[in-house]
Amino acid sequence: MTSLDVQTITPSTAPASSAELATKEFGEGSTKVRALDEISVAFEPGRFSAIMGPSGSGKSTLLHCLAALEPLTSGRAFIGGTDLSDLNDRELTELRRDRIGFVFQTFNLLPMLSAEKNITLQRRLAREKVDREWFDTVVDSLELRDRLHHRPSELSGGQQQRVAVARALINRPETIFADEPTGNLDSSSGQEVLDFLRRAVDEFGQTVVMVTHDPGAAAHADRVVFLADGRIVDEMADPTTELVLEKLKDLGS
Amino acid sequence: MFRLTLDSLLARKFRLLSTTLSITIGVAFLTGSFLLIDTMGRAFDDLLSDVNQGIDAEVRSSEVIETGFGDIRGRIDASVVDVVSEVEGVEAVEGVVVGYAQLVDTDGEAMGNPGQGAPTLGFAWTDIDELNPMDLVDGTAPLAPTDVVIDRASAKNGPFSVGDDITVLTQAGPQTFVVSGIATFGAADSPLGASIAIFEPETAQRLLGEPGRYDMIDIVAAEGVSQSELRDRVAAVAPAGTEVITGEELIAESQNDIAEALSFFNTFMLIFSGIALFVAAFIIYNTFSILVAQRTRELALLRSLGARKRQVLLSVLGEAVVVGLVASLIGIAAGAGVAVMLQRLLGVIGLELPTDGLVFQPATVVWSLVVGVGMTAVSALAPSRRSAAVAPMEAIRSAAVERTGLSLSRLAASLILLGGGIAVLGWGLFGEPSSTALIIGIGAVGVFLGVAALAPIVATPFADVVGRPIAWLRGVPGELARENAMRNPRRTATTAAALMIGVGLVATISIFAASATASINKIIDDAIIGDLVIDSGTFGFGGLSPELATRLNEVPEVEAASGVRLGFADIDGEAQTVYGIDAETSGRIIDVGVVAGSTESMGVDNLAVFDEYAAEQGWSLGDTVEVMFAETGAQELTIAAIYQRDELAGNVFIGNSAFEANYPSVFDFQVYVLGADGFTTTEVRSAVEAVAADYANAEVQDLSEYKQGQADQINQLLSFVYALLFLAIIIALIGIANTLALSVLERTHELGLLRAIGMTRRQLRSSIRWESVLIALLGTALGAVIGVFFGWAIVEALRDDGFSELRFPVGQLLIAVVLAAIAGVVAATLPARRAARMNVLGAVAAE
Repeated sequence: MTSLDVQTITPSTAPASSAELATKEFGEGSTKVRALDEISVAFEPGRFSAIMGPSGSGKSTLLHCLAALEPLTSGRAFIGGTDLSDLNDRELTELRRDRIGFVFQTFNLLPMLSAEKNITLQRRLAREKVDREWFDTVVDSLELRDRLHHRPSELSGGQQQRVAVARALINRPETIFADEPTGNLDSSSGQEVLDFLRRAVDEFGQTVVMVTHDPGAAAHADRVVFLADGRIVDEMADPTTELVLEKLKDLGS
Repeated sequence: MFRLTLDSLLARKFRLLSTTLSITIGVAFLTGSFLLIDTMGRAFDDLLSDVNQGIDAEVRSSEVIETGFGDIRGRIDASVVDVVSEVEGVEAVEGVVVGYAQLVDTDGEAMGNPGQGAPTLGFAWTDIDELNPMDLVDGTAPLAPTDVVIDRASAKNGPFSVGDDITVLTQAGPQTFVVSGIATFGAADSPLGASIAIFEPETAQRLLGEPGRYDMIDIVAAEGVSQSELRDRVAAVAPAGTEVITGEELIAESQNDIAEALSFFNTFMLIFSGIALFVAAFIIYNTFSILVAQRTRELALLRSLGARKRQVLLSVLGEAVVVGLVASLIGIAAGAGVAVMLQRLLGVIGLELPTDGLVFQPATVVWSLVVGVGMTAVSALAPSRRSAAVAPMEAIRSAAVERTGLSLSRLAASLILLGGGIAVLGWGLFGEPSSTALIIGIGAVGVFLGVAALAPIVATPFADVVGRPIAWLRGVPGELARENAMRNPRRTATTAAALMIGVGLVATISIFAASATASINKIIDDAIIGDLVIDSGTFGFGGLSPELATRLNEVPEVEAASGVRLGFADIDGEAQTVYGIDAETSGRIIDVGVVAGSTESMGVDNLAVFDEYAAEQGWSLGDTVEVMFAETGAQELTIAAIYQRDELAGNVFIGNSAFEANYPSVFDFQVYVLGADGFTTTEVRSAVEAVAADYANAEVQDLSEYKQGQADQINQLLSFVYALLFLAIIIALIGIANTLALSVLERTHELGLLRAIGMTRRQLRSSIRWESVLIALLGTALGAVIGVFFGWAIVEALRDDGFSELRFPVGQLLIAVVLAAIAGVVAATLPARRAARMNVLGAVAAE
């Protein structure tokens, strides 16, 4: 697909997030590393997609570039129909603020703010009012009602991640990017978080793109993209834990 | 471990930059002060030895009054010269005449600032080389009564050349002379900025002293005669009432006197250095506290690997010592620059120090190093102890939220410190102990430390309340600034405390000055009934010719003109300032609040006494008091009046006739004028100015101008003090920038997260700036509270010394608040920029 084609596609059918011949290099000269090697990929809106691969495959790098956190060395990344390379730092920042939600593995919350303040933080950065009805819906479905006034240090790991998900959802972003969201959690808390993300996609039509190394987590997605050495090497639709595990073994050899 | 210290230091070069800077500034100021003190001391020592080096012995009156301004002696009879010249071993003898002689420049303005700066002196010329410290470089020595030789600096400033006419003010009033010659003081154009006018001897006696009398007699010894021998021989023939000393003794004595006079200035400079260093100490303490907190994991790792507590403590302390050492060395080098700057400042008030060569004593280097390194080590001691207390387990635990409260023992200790400080301060101010300045200083330090220790309690509520409008106005950045200031009360408080010191002292001095001005204004309003004041710009040495007051009294527009004179005398073994007030006219112009007797008919044998002083001495109206004058010796004077107001009249005053009888050199240092009925103020003033125009050093002012003039003098002194305090404030601002920078480094993850979820660089900078503003405002608030307390205490302590009014310059204090906020913004500039430039991704990437 050429850029021209992408731009003429109407938003409703444009991919929520996509990359075109995306290349990312780190370092100079003899220490130069190619984390992404001319990757082209598109993620549909309203779907739960997972990116998997062994360590060093470039999956986190891909996510960061798709999420406007890191610029590409060459090629292009798009959010909806917007070409990220056209934007300067302030515009990129505002794009992240208004159109993207984030859930990181750790350090998702500001320690001196309450859960409620953390949840509404992104909206308030944009000086926008928070839709109270939506806020209640999100908080209740994430079962955070009685935790709203607690500080992060007073919450368990699972609760902290749920707060992070709430913050991402409140924004009603075009896409939520999650980087190993369950990496630091025990299995039952992790399941909870993944279930909520799944529900967000099913009930609210949210788009989620998640990086994970855990086949069990990937099983929650509608589609899995497999990376190795900076390239897409395979794809799978409607994954299950066992199928993903097998695929990873195949790729590993 | 030493290796570790060095590595650690090098890795954190930047973090320690601001600490180094603040120590450097403090030490530079200390070194500069030492340099200036030593240079000034040397300059005066050299001056005095140069002036007196040719003198082998001196004969002078043994009647001496020791005042705070120097010794006052009577004159001796000229016949003593004849007696001395007969003594064997005397090579040459000359009578010395010295007195007030102020030059008038070609624009008609009096030259020099004798009231505050270098004196304006007149001498009699002597052809005896050894006894003449001036060297003629142009023209000839003064021969005719109208001749005068002036110093080259005055010749340049006049400007005057040989042969020009020049007006000179002496006790004989303004007279015109001809510049017969120009002289230098060795290589310098003038001796440390003093102006010199030299006349031929008889003329000099008439203009500067008394015909037939000399101030002292200097003697040059013949070859082979030692000074002590000469002294003994002359003492054998010297008449009663005189004493003889050797040239060496004379030099030593005068050097000693100057050293005493300078000691006030020296203390002043050292106090300011102390303040700068005190502020730097706060910054060091704060920085190392933060560094230790940030390195908890690293330190815990060391401990779990087996490093002993003492090793860790010494390692951290060692870092502090190295920083202190390097910073002090740089500071010592920079001290030279500071000394030069201070020299320039002194030049502004007319004291010209020789610009060649600062006196660099080894003691200066040693003391600066000891103080710089010592202070650093002491300030870093507590954080070092804390570093050693880190448990090995903390290598694994994540960073805990800081304890926000003060432990009970800490609270108690802080209150004791504060209470103790207040008590000592009170004792110093009201109890009159010896070494008052030191006691007051210790008390002040105690108060500052006590408040700083208690500040964390105040920090959180302050940031909460003051931060609320900021959060409301600036949205999330403001909210974050408020939260960040609140979350770390100890750090916020200690950072703010550094600023509190500078602001507190500025507030104190402002209140002091405002109260002083208000008190003076009240005195002027209450005590002066007259309309105009004519000021001479002198105080105790020289002044206006009495002719002026006499002539003014003959002017129809003037109801009365009263000159006030100033002299010294010994009463009951203590030197007292004796004012001379014209009894006839004064009652109409100056209200001294007479409660007993009357001042109208005070004769040559009378004096008037302040009621409190009289009570202390046990005197009443009609008693006879023995007053020892330098010239006339012991005189019995009868108390003719007792008065209540001592502001203008001091403890004791006498009438004109009494003054003229006992003081041969008569000058009015001020003249008060009351306009006559039937004339407008403008008419009165023009008439007065017309007469005063003949007297170049007479400045005619109405009461509001006079008040303004007094206020200006106070303000001039204030500016100097403010400039020095400004330094302390700069150091504190560096401290704030320092803390912020370190905090930013600590919060990398948070800042990365914020940038990821969409905080713009501008919002981030804004957040840091507002945090800085909150800290600065806290420091200002604490400083203002302390300043008000100190200011009040000082004014209360000085109630008896004329401070009737307590004033709080609210306008100035409000300006200080605004400036603090602006300073907060400035201090945050660099840290904010660095934070905003940070790579977002690096911060959020999983560890």
